[in-house]
Amino acid sequence: MSRFRRTVRQTMTIARRDFVATVFTPIFLLFLFAPMIFGAIGGTVGGLSASSMAGNKDRARVVAIVAPEHARAMADADTRLRAVFRRDETPPLLTTLAPAADPAEQAREAFAAKDFEASAVLYGPLDRPIVLYSGLGSRTADYLGVLAGQTLAAEKLGSALPAVSVTKTRFTRPRGAAPNGRNPSAFFAVFGIFFLTLFLSGQVVGTMAEERSNKVVEVLAAAVPLESVFLGKLLGMFGVAVLFVAFWGTIVGNIGALMPPSLARELGSVAPATGTPAFGILFACYFTTAYLLLGSVFLGVGAQATTMREIQLLSLPITFGQMAMFGLSAAAVAQPDSWIATFAEVFPLSSPFAMAGRAANRAEIWPHLLAIGWQLLWVGLFITVGARLFRRGVLQSGSARPWWKRAPAS
Amino acid sequence: MTDAAVSASGLVKLFGDRRVVDGVDLLVPAGAIYGVLGPNGAGKTTTLRMLLGIIEPDGGSRSLLGEAHPRDASDRVGYLPEERGLYPAMKAKEAIAFMGALRGLAWATGRRRAVQLLERAGLGHAADTKIRKLSKGMAQLVQLLGSVVHEPDLLVLDEPFSGLDPVNQERLEALILAERDRGATVLFSTHVMAHAERLCDRLAIISGGKRRFEGTVNDARGMLPARVHYTPQRPGAEVAVALPHDARPEGTAGAAGWHFEMPPEGIEQVLVRLIEAGHGIAGLSIERPGLHEAFVQIVGRDALEAAQ
Repeated sequence: MSRFRRTVRQTMTIARRDFVATVFTPIFLLFLFAPMIFGAIGGTVGGLSASSMAGNKDRARVVAIVAPEHARAMADADTRLRAVFRRDETPPLLTTLAPAADPAEQAREAFAAKDFEASAVLYGPLDRPIVLYSGLGSRTADYLGVLAGQTLAAEKLGSALPAVSVTKTRFTRPRGAAPNGRNPSAFFAVFGIFFLTLFLSGQVVGTMAEERSNKVVEVLAAAVPLESVFLGKLLGMFGVAVLFVAFWGTIVGNIGALMPPSLARELGSVAPATGTPAFGILFACYFTTAYLLLGSVFLGVGAQATTMREIQLLSLPITFGQMAMFGLSAAAVAQPDSWIATFAEVFPLSSPFAMAGRAANRAEIWPHLLAIGWQLLWVGLFITVGARLFRRGVLQSGSARPWWKRAPAS
Repeated sequence: MTDAAVSASGLVKLFGDRRVVDGVDLLVPAGAIYGVLGPNGAGKTTTLRMLLGIIEPDGGSRSLLGEAHPRDASDRVGYLPEERGLYPAMKAKEAIAFMGALRGLAWATGRRRAVQLLERAGLGHAADTKIRKLSKGMAQLVQLLGSVVHEPDLLVLDEPFSGLDPVNQERLEALILAERDRGATVLFSTHVMAHAERLCDRLAIISGGKRRFEGTVNDARGMLPARVHYTPQRPGAEVAVALPHDARPEGTAGAAGWHFEMPPEGIEQVLVRLIEAGHGIAGLSIERPGLHEAFVQIVGRDALEAAQ
């Protein structure tokens, strides 16, 4: 058997062991369903918070202290303007009050009303209104100003207010013709890979600790090159990650079939520059290389730790590192032709993220082939360095000294 | 393949500035049981690890089963490290099959052979038991079976008897002999002389990182003179006149027996003197020194005390 085939076989033996040892445990079910569990907890807490906030929102009002003859026109203008806003961005409901003897005092008192919570209160003549607002009500104060203008315009023009009949037609932008070279799918690509690797690649940090605590490492090191042990562990955990992604991908895919047609249409319009099939393949490739790159660094660093406490301490800088790569890549897709983009595409740890973004922004395929090769080269480099550090630190042995430094027998 | 299963020439290993192994030469004949003996910290484990390619030597060369690079022979080698290690969550037969798979044995074959080996070792009932539920001795035996499941040409055992009870030590000796009978070469390290004396065809004694002796057990024992125990027919202090100068009475004062080192020229002249002087011979035995005495002599009492 050739050395290469033997190495592949040994690597896959390690990968198989790690995959089986991870997947066929009750803990794995907890890991697999963690998003659902945490989602349920988050949903419950969020729901309770939302219902509490909705209760507050139901009571929130923008108040206009206007003469009764203006109230009708203002309500109509409010109805027209309100239609422009998204549901969660609509201003609080409008309440109109007839002016009292002192409208300024009445406006201040409106903030203390018991049957509603005033966000902003308008009083005075509509062409020169005064708007009081509380807390974060600056935008609702602006809204009341616009509302006053619309009310006046409607009153002055009356039936002469021109009726506008709008024809809305959906337009799909040609592929790759995103303004400024930016495509919305670029950010999705960067975020998607970041999200997946954030959850999954950090898991490899502690895998060598098992071998060290069980003292299996000597058995492995005698039979298999340490580089194969490292790569096998990485591939085993990558198998676990793929299983996780496939499981949740299937679930999310089926939930996607149930999403509202308008949202599905919106998502369907996000067309990456390389085309959806090629983009899908590139996304999978870059997820793989991102996992292997980050995983190999984490594995190498984690293998040097001697205790679980040290491994736990490593998780914070690791998360910071991942966040930094995400930030760099997000900046790269926002400025596709900048030096930041070039740097992010070349720097090995950010390259998969940035290149996935590039696949959304640019149609050329060849840079991706180059990038994947470049990234795999670094995976190999990280694994080699990690294994050497492990050999030196844990097995108490450096590599063979170069011939000019080799020691003769004394 | 050459006649030597393992050969090493001038192996050197430095840990920092310390020479842990200093120019060790080894030649392990194919098909032999070869012992590497030495006190604690002598450099036995480091030597074995260099031979197997777990760590790289800082000087010298070695070959394993005819391969200059030990990795190229790894599928034909079985290894039991000094620090035993198994995955606690694995079943016994899976652990054995896994160790075989690392050496190129198909998983299915490994599982089948694992069950056979476990049954032969009297552990058939534990085939589906997880390692964490086995006793230490049983787990050690499982690991040993894992090192032979792929029927290696070379079996390297580092302190295989440590931690085993007498029954399991006997099982292990039987297994080593069975491996040799199968045609495998067995190389093991130990500091327990009795096992080496019973098993080894040849042995090397290492101390302070250097090889102090290489040869058969008889060669080692032959390095010390035999001890003669003599009992005259008529005891008396005058017997000493006919005995060599180093002769000492045995036991308490007034006892009948004497003992002395076998003279270089043999025992015959001493016997002639005793008979001619009329002391007669009531008893005579020649006791050859054991490997233990030879080991102490070779390594030196000071080195042994330093190691302890």
